[in-house]
Amino acid sequence: MKLTIGYFYPELLNLYGDDGNVQILASRARSRGIEVEVINITPKTELTEEMMHSIDLVFMGGGPDSSQHGMYEDLLHKKGPLLSKFIEDEGVGLFICGSYQLLGNYYKAANGKVLDGVGVFDVHTVSFGTKKPRCIGNVVCEIMPELRHDETFNSVNKLGDTLVGFENHGGRTYLGKNILPFAKVLMGHGNNSEDGYEGMLYKNSIGTYLHGPILARNPHLADYLIAKSLNLESLEELDDSLINSAHTASKKLKQ
Amino acid sequence: MFYIILYLAKIANFFISILNLGAGYTWPGHIALALYPNILSHKKLDFPLGVVLISGTNGKTTTSKLLTHILESTDVKVTHNKTGANLLNGLVSATLLDMSLLGSHNSQIGVFEVDENNLPLILERINPNVLVLLNLSRDQLDRYGEVDLILEKWSSSVETLEASTEIVLDKTQPYFKKLIENFKGEITYFDEEPSYLNKTSLIGKFNAKNVNAAVYTSMLLGIDEVDIENSLENFEYAYGRGEQVSYRDKDYRILLAKNPASFENNLEVINDSEVSADTLLFVFNDNIPDGRDVSWIYDISPEALSGACKGKNIYVCGTRYMDMAVRLKYAGVDIKEENVFASLESTVAAITANEESLSVLAFPNYSAMLQLRKILTGKAIL
Repeated sequence: MKLTIGYFYPELLNLYGDDGNVQILASRARSRGIEVEVINITPKTELTEEMMHSIDLVFMGGGPDSSQHGMYEDLLHKKGPLLSKFIEDEGVGLFICGSYQLLGNYYKAANGKVLDGVGVFDVHTVSFGTKKPRCIGNVVCEIMPELRHDETFNSVNKLGDTLVGFENHGGRTYLGKNILPFAKVLMGHGNNSEDGYEGMLYKNSIGTYLHGPILARNPHLADYLIAKSLNLESLEELDDSLINSAHTASKKLKQ
Repeated sequence: MFYIILYLAKIANFFISILNLGAGYTWPGHIALALYPNILSHKKLDFPLGVVLISGTNGKTTTSKLLTHILESTDVKVTHNKTGANLLNGLVSATLLDMSLLGSHNSQIGVFEVDENNLPLILERINPNVLVLLNLSRDQLDRYGEVDLILEKWSSSVETLEASTEIVLDKTQPYFKKLIENFKGEITYFDEEPSYLNKTSLIGKFNAKNVNAAVYTSMLLGIDEVDIENSLENFEYAYGRGEQVSYRDKDYRILLAKNPASFENNLEVINDSEVSADTLLFVFNDNIPDGRDVSWIYDISPEALSGACKGKNIYVCGTRYMDMAVRLKYAGVDIKEENVFASLESTVAAITANEESLSVLAFPNYSAMLQLRKILTGKAIL
């Protein structure tokens, strides 16, 4: 069996150790005897529909503004349509911070300038510049029932219903009417510091602000992504005692 | 007004030293700044030979200590913020406390390491004779923000410097090109050429740059090359930056590892076999001076981590010890759960009790380094 991860813009969008997510997915898959291939997709990659078909799981991180300049046009005009089709066709994806924002409808900068997004996620992001403080700190949240009750998630979840991580974002993201949040914030800011929710779920894709990297202390989420993307009903259990303790300890951190 | 502030700073310092308040080094500066926010630009505070400022993500402490050492070996009197108080208040403290009661400097020159985020604020107040810019890389994103933002702020301040300021700059960093576009003065470049490094007892390729930066700066200040070379061999490590300590029959070497770049620099020392050890100790905290976001440990190359750890006893502790243990595990390091502790004291005790552990390389981040030094040497800083 083989897991093919499509890693979008690994050089440009890897600001907060998000690369660790790919390392963790690969490590956990290999521990179960699953072969792993990581396809790095850069602005130079001539991405085709055929390549997208070979990808089981898409990962994309966040990056500083200067890096986003280097991939924005490429994402919007070249990779975006293929990525949208992948997501609409129920492909499994994890999109962190900047990429979560970029796949939304638009990003409104503090100076009022509106930057178009790929538009596959019905969310939009607003930056208030210096008028509102950045959302920084440790986060604890509870996964939404829709995902918790998913059969695949249920079968791999040996940890519980919480997620832990660290957020650091200036933009506030607002969800459209028909889009589900990913989690309910127990501690932290989440999407916008207003509605109490974190991230979004659309079909089999997740957008989130959680770093840490998110999969480091949330092994249940990592396993869900692996199982879901390979259509597996269950996964062999690993010795996660240390990782589970790290998750539990994180719930007691100060914001 | 100037003298009132000077005396208040001196009095504050007197009480701090008799009450033994180790961390009180910045208080005189705090008091002075509260009364006179622009005190650092006051003419009376000018050093006779001017000021050298050294900034960057990594290497500030070693470079400024070496430059001070070279200058002092040729009998130049130097004021240096050697405890690492490198914000505006630390510089004000150091500068004021160097003054006599009559308002003149005891030292001839100020050599200050400057926090990279504070540099623009300090450049608004003083025009250094030499500005040494070492490097910029990811460090404490929750406090400092992205590297680009710091680089942008640096560019704006470098533009305003007078042409009399000379910049000493790392030639190998492409991101520095834009920084000096509108700079009016002279620039001296350094690289990683190892001939001066080899005259010191320092290890690590990254230290070649620090040594070259200090050597070239002393040349700019008119120190003779022969005197510089002679002074290199008896230079001792800055605290926690390669420092060696013997504790309960074990040889420790402390290698501050506070961000991905400094971590990898230190791992390279092991992977290049410049030092050997049978034990590695990771001490990982998330206190305010460390940054509270621990995600950066996943920016450290997993291959460098597993290579360095191979065949060694691995101990992990600190306020976020579990995060470090998980990171090492995912890098393929064999972690024994009985060697993973919350408490640093327990870890050092376990190493002391382990007969197989004789030589220990410790990788602490900032607050962890101070705690480790306190246990091993009995004092936190100097």
